Amino acid sequence: MSTAAIYVLAGIGIFGIGLYGLLSTVHLLRSLLSINVMSSGIFLLLVAPPTRAGEAPDPIAQALVLTGIVVSVAATAFGLALLGRLHAASGSPELNDRYDDDDDADDS
Amino acid sequence: MSVAIDILLASGLVALALQTVAGPGLFRATITFIIFGLVMALIWARLGVPDLALAEAALGAGITGALLLAAIQRLVHGDPQALRKERRHVSRLALPVALLVSLLVAAIALSLTGAVDARPGEAATLAREALAGVELGNAVTAVLLLFRGYDTLLEMTVLLAASFGAFASSRASLGDDLLGPREREQSLLDALLTVIVPLAVLVAGYLLHAGGEAPGGAFQAGAVLGAAAVLLVLGRRLSPNPVPSPPERVAVVLGVVVFSLIGLLSLARGEGQLLALPGMWAVYAVEGAMMISIATILALLFVGGRGLRRNQR
Repeated sequence: MSTAAIYVLAGIGIFGIGLYGLLSTVHLLRSLLSINVMSSGIFLLLVAPPTRAGEAPDPIAQALVLTGIVVSVAATAFGLALLGRLHAASGSPELNDRYDDDDDADDS
Repeated sequence: MSVAIDILLASGLVALALQTVAGPGLFRATITFIIFGLVMALIWARLGVPDLALAEAALGAGITGALLLAAIQRLVHGDPQALRKERRHVSRLALPVALLVSLLVAAIALSLTGAVDARPGEAATLAREALAGVELGNAVTAVLLLFRGYDTLLEMTVLLAASFGAFASSRASLGDDLLGPREREQSLLDALLTVIVPLAVLVAGYLLHAGGEAPGGAFQAGAVLGAAAVLLVLGRRLSPNPVPSPPERVAVVLGVVVFSLIGLLSLARGEGQLLALPGMWAVYAVEGAMMISIATILALLFVGGRGLRRNQR
């Protein structure tokens, strides 16, 4: 198995793991971590695919991923600020509509 | 032998991702995520993309980790149970949806890989041909500033917009009430700061200068400078200030303003189109301004304040 194939497979796996994490939590901090894991999977998929033998990876893909890393840091920072404000306002680090179908959330 | 290293790194990354999203304890998940970022940086280095390795280590693992830990400190300060009372709500659909979407992503990835094998990436070939005619030795910096300048300008704007959003919504800044009173005996920390902060400034200057020819650039340099400011906050040399000073206001918007002005200048002089940088001086001016903006924004995001002030010792 080639180096590229290993990392492409890892990228797919990490994307799926992040998505599963996002769907299976109501705590917003865990959601932010899951989204970051998902985006790392995407970055890996953009850069890892093989180029012609002996050539460096595609500079355009590298530039896009560099942009992606900075944007995900910015989005995480904004998300954390919103999380802090929500927690201060409502006393809970969760979004209520995430478990409306839950049995113990009849009062919402 | 080298494939064994790849398999180890890839399986380690997958295991860390699993621990981050499904492992017990949110604090532990956060620490695992920081390690995940560092392994990611190693993988970028393995794949031969040092620019991304630097950015991932400085921004993805370093600054994001600091931001996460600062946010946890704020959460736990107001409510010690904020991390403990995490409720898992595993929807019956979570696993099937994740699996199906992963299959979809796998199909896309396979078709991409097949396309590259059949016909060597045309965009990459075109980019290499265009790059042969410019003065910048680092292909990534050239793409960022010369060929996809809009992307980079909008990326700075995203960072600026996110910071405005964070400043507007955040209330608790990382002051003495959150960090605890300054230790009376912190001579070791002071000695460390005396060495590390000037070194970080030197490294940032190097990364900025080298960014034209070798791995490095404004984003990596800005992250290193921002990390130095984070250390100064933790060492109590700087404290959050509710009102930004005029130099801070200028520093936050400097990157977007300088990039836009130089881009408009070349348009006004009738040479080329918008954002076509007129020469190497312009590349360094834009990179330097972006570095200052990025460092300031990251430091302010960390303290959750709108400004910083020096502590009298």
